[in-house]
Amino acid sequence: MCHSERSEESAEGGFCLHPASRGLLAGLRVTDEEAAQSQPQVARGCREPLTGETLGSQIRLGAGFFMRYNSLSDIRVVDLTHHIAGPYATRMLAEMGAEVIKVEPPWGEGARRRGPTRDGAGDTAGDRGGLFAFLNTNKLGVTLDLRHERAREMLLAMLDGADLLVENFAPGTLAKLTALSPAELLERFPKLSLVSISNFGQDGPDRDAPLNDLVLFARGGWTYPVGEPTREPLTPPGSLAQYVGGLYAAVAAMQALYARSFVLGCGQHVDVSLLEAAVATMIYETVTFQYTGVTRERTGKRYTIGPFLIVTLRCRDGYAGLHCVTDKQFESLSEMMGRPELVRDERFRTAYLRMVNSDALLAIVEPFFLAHDRAFLYREGRKRALPLVPIPSVAEVLEWEQLKARAYFETVCDPVLGEIKIPGAPLRLSSHCPEPTRPAPRLGEHNRAIFGERLGLDDAELSRLRQAGII
Amino acid sequence: MTTTPHQRLRVADLSMGWAGPLVGAMLAEMGAEVVKVEDTRHFDWWRGSLSMGSPEEHPVERSAVFNSVNRGKLGVTLNLADPRGLAVLKRLAATADVLIENFSAGVMERLGLSYPVLSALNPRLVMLSMPSFGADGPERDARGYGNTVEAMAGVTGLTGYHDGGQPYTLSNALGDPVGGLNGAFAVMVGLHERERTGRGQWIELAQVEAAIPLMAEALLDYQLTGKIPPPRGNRHPRHAPHGIYRCAGENEWIALGVEDETQWRALLNALGLQNLAGDQRFSTAEARKRNEDALDEALSRAFASSEVEEIARRLVEAGVPAGQVNSAPSVMADAQIQARGYFVPVERAVVGTHLYPGAVARFSQTPLEADRPAPLLGEHNAAVLREILGMSDAEIEALERAGIIGTRPLG
Repeated sequence: MCHSERSEESAEGGFCLHPASRGLLAGLRVTDEEAAQSQPQVARGCREPLTGETLGSQIRLGAGFFMRYNSLSDIRVVDLTHHIAGPYATRMLAEMGAEVIKVEPPWGEGARRRGPTRDGAGDTAGDRGGLFAFLNTNKLGVTLDLRHERAREMLLAMLDGADLLVENFAPGTLAKLTALSPAELLERFPKLSLVSISNFGQDGPDRDAPLNDLVLFARGGWTYPVGEPTREPLTPPGSLAQYVGGLYAAVAAMQALYARSFVLGCGQHVDVSLLEAAVATMIYETVTFQYTGVTRERTGKRYTIGPFLIVTLRCRDGYAGLHCVTDKQFESLSEMMGRPELVRDERFRTAYLRMVNSDALLAIVEPFFLAHDRAFLYREGRKRALPLVPIPSVAEVLEWEQLKARAYFETVCDPVLGEIKIPGAPLRLSSHCPEPTRPAPRLGEHNRAIFGERLGLDDAELSRLRQAGII
Repeated sequence: MTTTPHQRLRVADLSMGWAGPLVGAMLAEMGAEVVKVEDTRHFDWWRGSLSMGSPEEHPVERSAVFNSVNRGKLGVTLNLADPRGLAVLKRLAATADVLIENFSAGVMERLGLSYPVLSALNPRLVMLSMPSFGADGPERDARGYGNTVEAMAGVTGLTGYHDGGQPYTLSNALGDPVGGLNGAFAVMVGLHERERTGRGQWIELAQVEAAIPLMAEALLDYQLTGKIPPPRGNRHPRHAPHGIYRCAGENEWIALGVEDETQWRALLNALGLQNLAGDQRFSTAEARKRNEDALDEALSRAFASSEVEEIARRLVEAGVPAGQVNSAPSVMADAQIQARGYFVPVERAVVGTHLYPGAVARFSQTPLEADRPAPLLGEHNAAVLREILGMSDAEIEALERAGIIGTRPLG
C-alpha cells in the first residue's frame, strides 16, 4: 500500500533544527501533482528531543520511519553522474539533506535500463530497474541534451549558486560538454567545487582504458588471494569496488566544502580514481607484503595471513563464518565444541601455533560444524563471545532480527516498481528528526520545478525546449 | 590541507582495529590534529595482530596494518580504568572537535564517557560511535570484525564459484574500510552542520548497516524476482566471455569481460582467433552465453602461452575491458598506479621506510597529506599533555609514576 498523506507533525517536534530546509521540496509538492502522488509512506515525526542515552531507541519510530536528514540542507549539488559510483556518492549527500539535481540526457542515463526487474530480464524497457531506484532516492531529476547550446546555458545557470558539481564522465568529456576546462569552470563559479570520479583518474597511461567490475577488482588486487589454490582466482560479487570509489568521492565532496569554509574561501577540483580507491583497501596485501616479503596466495576456505583462523565452514544447513584469533576466542571455541582440553594441547597453545597447525585444528573443527546447524552454532558462539556468524543469503539479510529491531530497511513506494525495501541511512544523528526518503525521480520529473521556478523559464519556452528535444 | 592553528581540527581517537582508525587517518590527511588514545594494557589490538617477537624487537611497533591506518596521528596512552586517566581524557574531549570510538555498545557508558557526559563538557563535540551491529537491538553486544560484518551484510554468501561449492571471505575485510569511509563522511557531515547550528552531536554508525547498501542490487533482485541470486563466480548473468584465464608463468591470470559485438570482434582479432567468428556456437551474444563452457575452454587455450602484461595491454588497446589479476607486488608495479604516484614512502621508527597507499582524493588546491608516520605507543604523551592540555612537567611525571601513562606495552 502506498500512502500519500503527509504528516506535518515532525516540523513541530522540539528537536527538528531545520524545518526550513523543506522549502524547495514543499514548493515542488504543491506545484507538481505527480510528484506529490509518488510520496512514500510517511509516519509520525519525532515528538521528544533525542538525547544521547536514547539515540538508538528514539530513532525507531514505529510503523513508519524517516531516514533522510537535513544536515546538508544548505548545500546544492548539480549531479552529472551515471551508473553506480557517482550516483552512490551523490545519494549519500542527498540522504544527508543536500539538494541534489540529477541531470540526465533526455533519453535517460544508462543505469535506467539496467535491472533488476520483476520479470528477471537483465535490462529494463522503461524508466528504471531496482538498482537505479535505490541509487537515486532523494534526488531531483531534470533532463538536458548538453549537445545544444541552450542546454549548456541552462546547466551553467544551475551551477550559479551550486556548491558541488559531481561528474563521472570519461576524462575530458565534461570540458567538451561545457566548453569550459575545470579551471575555467571554477574561475567562473568560485564557490563551486568539482568532484570528478573516473575509472583510472584524470591522467596516466590507462586514463581512457575500458573497465568493468571484473577488471576493477582484478587490477585493484581484490581477486588474486580469493578462491581455491588449484583453481582460477575468484572475483568478489557485484560492484563493491565502485561503491568504495563512491564513498571516497562523498568524503572528498565534504572535505572540499570544509576547505572552502576554513582554508581556501573558494572551491577546487577533486580527482578520484576508482582503481586507486580499490587499491586503498588492500593494505593487508600491499603494505604487509613489504614488511614480510610474503605475497598472500589463495588458501580456499581459510583467510590466512598471520596467526588467524578465519574460515568459512560447512554446517548442517549452510555455511558459517568463524573468526578465531585470540587465545580467549580459541578457549571459547574449544569449550563450545565440548573439547576444553584443546587449550592445553601443545599444537594450539598460541595463535602462532594454531596458524602453523591449522590443518590439524580444522580436522577437529570441521566435523563439529558439519554436525550442527547455523542457528545453534551462532547461539552457542554468542554465549561465549566468539565471533561466529551464520552466512546469510540476501533473503535472510532482509529478515535479520537485528535490522528489524533497528528499523533499518526502509520501505519506499517507487512509482515504477511499487513498494520496495531499500537499505536505510547508515548514520543515525542525535540532533535530528529525519524526513522520509523520496523515490528516485522519473526522467525529467522536476524539469518544470527547476527550469521554471529556479531558472525562471516560462511555460512557452519549456514546451519549445521539449519539442526541440533539449529537455 | 593546511589550516592555521586556531582553525585546526582536534580529534580524540579512541578507536582500534581498522574501521575506526581509518576515520581519524582521513581527518589527519586533512591536517587535523588527531590524538590516538591507547592504554599500555589495552593497546590497539591491530598493533599485535600480525606481529610477534621478543620485547626488544618492539613487536607492537611492527604491524604493517596498524602503521598504515594510524598515519599522521599523535600517540598517547591513558589508563581509562583509573580516575586520573579518565580525568585527562575528559580534558582532551573538552577541547576536541571530534571524538571517535568503536568499542562494543555500552563500553563508553561504563567508562563514564557517554555522549551526554561529554556533550555537557563540550557542546560543540561531534562524537562518532561505531558499534558493529548497532547500539540497540538483540545483537547490540555482539563483537564484529571486518569479515563477520561482511558476512552479515550478505557479501560472503554471494562470493563463490559459478559452478557451486562454498562461500569465501573477501581479501580486504570489506566491512572495515567501508565502515571507516562512512565514519569519515559522518564526521564531515557533523562538522558541516555544526558550522550552522553551533552544536555538535552524536552520530551512531552500525558498521553492518554501512556495508549493506553495497549489496542493494542483489537485495532488490531478490525482492523483485522472488529468487535468491546465486553466486556467479567470475561469470556475468548475461554476457560471455566474462572470466579469468590462466596465462603463461607460475600464477598469472587475466580478467576480461565482453559486453557487445564490437568488443567480441576486437577480442578475436587481438588473440588471432578470427576462426571463432564463424563458429555457430559463438555467433550471437545468446549463443556465447549458452556455450560459455566451450568458449572458456577455447580462450583458456589461447591465453595459456600469452605473457599476461603484454596481452592485457593489447586487449585494452583494442577496446576490450581486460586486466591482469594483480597480486600485492603487481598492484604496486601496475603502470597506471605507478604513473600517478599513488603509493607514498613513509619513514617510521623501528620499521624504516615503506610505501603506503596515498590519499585517494586528489585536491587541486589543498592536497591531502598521507606521508606522516603512525605513532609509537605513547610517543606523544608528554607533548600532548603539555602543549594541548597545559599540564606541568610535575603533573606528567606523577601520571607516569602512577602508570596512568607509559610507553611500554603491559599485559
